[in-house]
Amino acid sequence: MNLRRHPRLLLASLTTLLTLLLLSPVAAFAAESGADEPALNPSDEFALPDWISINIGGLDLSINKAVFYIFLATALTVGVMIYAARKMASRPTGRLQTVTEMAFGLMRDNITRGNMDTRMAAKWFPFIATLFLFIWFSNMIGYLPLPTNTSHTFDLFGLEVPTFALYAATANISVPLVLAIVVWIAYHVEGIRKHGFFGYIRSWVPAGVEGFMVGPILAIEALSHFVRLISLSLRLFANILAGHLLILFMAGGLVVLLGMGVFGSVVLGISTGTLAVIFFLFEIGLVATLQAFIFSTLTAIYLGGAVAEEH
Amino acid sequence: MFAAIDTIAAPLVLAATTEDDGLNPLVKVVPGLMIWTLLAFLVALLLLRKYAWPQITRILDQRQHQIEESIDAAERTRAEADELLAEYRQRLADARAQADEIVAKAERAGEVAEREGLEAAKVKREELLEQTRRDIEGETRRAIQEIRREVADLTVQATEKVTKKTLSADDQKRLVEEALSELDFSALSGENRRN
Repeated sequence: MNLRRHPRLLLASLTTLLTLLLLSPVAAFAAESGADEPALNPSDEFALPDWISINIGGLDLSINKAVFYIFLATALTVGVMIYAARKMASRPTGRLQTVTEMAFGLMRDNITRGNMDTRMAAKWFPFIATLFLFIWFSNMIGYLPLPTNTSHTFDLFGLEVPTFALYAATANISVPLVLAIVVWIAYHVEGIRKHGFFGYIRSWVPAGVEGFMVGPILAIEALSHFVRLISLSLRLFANILAGHLLILFMAGGLVVLLGMGVFGSVVLGISTGTLAVIFFLFEIGLVATLQAFIFSTLTAIYLGGAVAEEH
Repeated sequence: MFAAIDTIAAPLVLAATTEDDGLNPLVKVVPGLMIWTLLAFLVALLLLRKYAWPQITRILDQRQHQIEESIDAAERTRAEADELLAEYRQRLADARAQADEIVAKAERAGEVAEREGLEAAKVKREELLEQTRRDIEGETRRAIQEIRREVADLTVQATEKVTKKTLSADDQKRLVEEALSELDFSALSGENRRN
């Protein structure tokens, strides 16, 4: 049967597949608890055991799950974009080009040019666009079940394969934080380059504030700049982590943790499993893109604000 | 219910408190990961800056350029078409005016030719009439002459018969003059002239 001709059938089979996929941890957990293994610890899902230990001068540069996801996201960002760029033709040739142009238009016109002047936009577009795509790919691969859970393995024809798991590098505070630090340094450098050091600090004080109020306002503004560092990184981190925790708990985690007997587990499993599908679609359809968009848009706003005449 | 929440929360809380540095791995900052992220991001930034953005921008600029050129070309073509149309309209108007002029000229020429023809015919007719008149006049004069001679002869013969003598030349002449003066030829010639 041709699935293309029957979109409902396609949707139904996809949903079923997704449900099965998402419910699969239930079986795994059930098997584990039966075998008297240690109880499920949700935070283990986000633990980062070393895969390849690298230690340079006391600095732990070990390759672990998160680093693997970062590499994967980088490879996808670079690979997809270079492939798309090579496929570009001045006479549009296909859907890839349409999608590339839409993404390019969003990043260039909406995110970058919408928040800074043309000269600044030309200078910072590569940075902001890369940031957007990097975060977007990181978020998106976070919803692909990949065989990355090395603390649990299953036997595939005698081969020890790590359990398929959902994980996202962006659900790890270190990743959004370092990106936020880069953004933070970048916009301060731009601001200082534009206004000079003291001029830039002075530009933090809003117009109309004079006299003794300058001091406290300046202190509040300085504080707000540090808060940006936290809010920018935490927003992305918390959103992605919360999404993954929701999916983890709904797709079996709750059933295992509550251990309500066979009947209770089935009822709970079916209801939370349905929710898991909904959350999954919500996360992959909206949150992943939205958070990448917010992060890069805020970057553009900070950069634009740093060189603006008035704060 | 609280027991359930406790069951869920316990591992998280436990994890948050039992780590070596007292932080849950969820919120623990890992310098190694940060460095890898930074490196990966920089690599992506540099590669995309070199191999992706310029190509995409070039194609988009190229297309924009092509669209602009197409619009310009279309505008030029339209302007040319308008110009041509105006020119053809002008030519058509000119041609029509010329045609009108030619017709008018032909009509005038026809009129002139007609008038001239009529004039010529009239002249010809006049000439013919004149000729005829002259012929008639000549004939008339000859006829009168004839008649005169006849009358003179008859007069002489008659007189000689009556008087039984031959008339002298002077008598003859006088008699003829007298006879002729009594005859009126003016009516003849007058009728001829009137026709």
